Amino acid sequence: MDSSIAQKTWELENNILTVEKPDPSSDSIFYYDEAAQAKFQQEKPWANDHHYFKRVKISALALLKMVVHARSGGTIEVMGLMQGKTDGDAIIVMDAFALPVEGTETRVNAQADAYEYMVDYSQTNKQAGRLENVVGWYHSHPGYGCWLSGIDVSTQMLNQQFQEPFLAVVIDPTRTVSAGKVEIGAFRTYPEGYKPTDDPISEYQTIPLNKIEDFGVHCKQYYPLDITYFKSSLDCHLLDLLWNKYWVNTLSSSPLLGNGDYVAGQISDLAEKLEQAENQLAHSRIGPLGPPRKKEESQLAKITRDSAKITVEQVHGLMSQVIKDILFNSVRQSNRSHNEQSGPEPMVEA
Amino acid sequence: MASSSSSGLTFKLHPLVIVNISDHYTRVKSQMNPPPVTSTSATVNGVEPLQQAPRVYGCVIGVQRGRTVEIFNSFELLYDPSTHSLDRPFLEKKQELYKKVFPHFYILGWYSTGSDAQESDMHIHKALMDINESPLYVLLNPTINPAQKDLPVTIYESELHVIDGIPQLIFVRSSYTIETVEAERISVDHVAHLKPSDGGSAATQLAAHLTGIHSAIKMLNSRIRVLHHHLVGMQKGDVPCENSLLRQVSSLLRRLPAIESEKFQDDFLMEYNDTLLITYLAMFTNCSSTMNELVDKFNTAYDRHSRRGGRTAFI
Repeated sequence: MDSSIAQKTWELENNILTVEKPDPSSDSIFYYDEAAQAKFQQEKPWANDHHYFKRVKISALALLKMVVHARSGGTIEVMGLMQGKTDGDAIIVMDAFALPVEGTETRVNAQADAYEYMVDYSQTNKQAGRLENVVGWYHSHPGYGCWLSGIDVSTQMLNQQFQEPFLAVVIDPTRTVSAGKVEIGAFRTYPEGYKPTDDPISEYQTIPLNKIEDFGVHCKQYYPLDITYFKSSLDCHLLDLLWNKYWVNTLSSSPLLGNGDYVAGQISDLAEKLEQAENQLAHSRIGPLGPPRKKEESQLAKITRDSAKITVEQVHGLMSQVIKDILFNSVRQSNRSHNEQSGPEPMVEA
Repeated sequence: MASSSSSGLTFKLHPLVIVNISDHYTRVKSQMNPPPVTSTSATVNGVEPLQQAPRVYGCVIGVQRGRTVEIFNSFELLYDPSTHSLDRPFLEKKQELYKKVFPHFYILGWYSTGSDAQESDMHIHKALMDINESPLYVLLNPTINPAQKDLPVTIYESELHVIDGIPQLIFVRSSYTIETVEAERISVDHVAHLKPSDGGSAATQLAAHLTGIHSAIKMLNSRIRVLHHHLVGMQKGDVPCENSLLRQVSSLLRRLPAIESEKFQDDFLMEYNDTLLITYLAMFTNCSSTMNELVDKFNTAYDRHSRRGGRTAFI
């Protein structure tokens, strides 16, 4: 009985909102109302309020496609477009498709044949019943976090001038696999010269040293949007049933193996940051106690957080390994004496 | 029409395909039946009676390596009701587009929704045979049946059978497994269970991770119990003795322990040690950071460099 109490405590602590199971009537989100969309386009409520769009709803399909595409690129950045519609202050992403462009650091924009591809694809889609318009673009930052680089910011500013409403989404497939949860961020830029009145609290993420300058210069020029996901009732049903076949993969996944070099990269990056921090701390003098500053963490505190994050991920991976070892290899342990029960007890209920 | 396939090919299906087909179907269905509560838009054509569930058609693409066929992705196709076939130029156009982004994937077959394979499907199937000599037919049953335990997805192949002296192509059912890459699994998991997406505390992450593994182990346990129950029944004599099943179970059991060698032990312990080392270093960093803060605070409280000199009590 403790497990149910534990679960309730955990849910309470983390403000888990139980999402009601979508029933067929709530699949209305899939309906594309052309006239309402056109009317919204004309009204342009976002023209006056730079902070108009606050939320993003991504469909299960779009998320899956984007993550799979991003991961298939490996360490190369990939990009694609998202199709969807708007709904008040939320942008709804129904589908996504990949673009055949190679991502490099100096790429400013998609080339000409990507435009052609976009037009062709949109046309064929409309015929096949996908009526939504392009509502944003996504690209991947493999291994270095979800934020907009300088080039990304200028691209998005351009998009927001001419193709409104437009959204920028960044996915990090490497961190997704390493952390076991989807690393995704949705952003909109402020127009040139606009200073946000309040400082939005953004979730801290670790940025590698070689990118940290690019991040810092531009991080005030855009704001993140909340992301929620939705799926249809049929999706729900299928995903539930999918679990019957899927549990094998969950058990057999080995994150330690898959992400070895990424973790090594992270640790070496952390070592460099540590050296920098050492220089900074050695030379600082303790001045008079000024007014209490904002929570500007010192370098060292940030490094501590990063190292804790890496460790937690590693420990998770190791736990999976140990559990698998106990489950499938412990036949030999039972042959030895029962005194040396070294590992944790298996979680199987009797 | 459906018997068991004998081609010997193994099929692997990615969850993306399933979600794709489901989305296509939901879209078409919802566009045909506009939701009753809409804003005052001009396109509401009155309240139409709920129409028959539409059949949607599309193409599946993937890779075939030897005897393994792996289905990665899919896209929609147009169905021409007059000729009872799929729109060919459209298919080729889409194929071109997809080739640009996924150059390794070939057309492996087609999909449709419905409860069972029908006669008219063979027509479409034959039309695709010039692209792929032995196309697949993936059928998804979109009716939601809460009592269902198994995925309502079936894969059919076509085989030439001699019926009444006439060689005919009929559909035969094949079995398949669900295959996935790590990233796909995580996103499917994420959407299926809507886990907390933000960082949360370390405790939350730990709980989420362990919950996933716990569910998987529970499944494993229940499956083993079913098998055990069946075997006990066989022993008692309630269930007729099936030698092939017994052989399979015996081979399964003989595979445990999974790996048992010196080298494995060494590698395993090395990995364990590496992780512990990382934990140790992180602890070190944490301690040094705390020490640093302590020293800072100490210096601020007992500032020896101030003009007044000596100690100023920290009020």
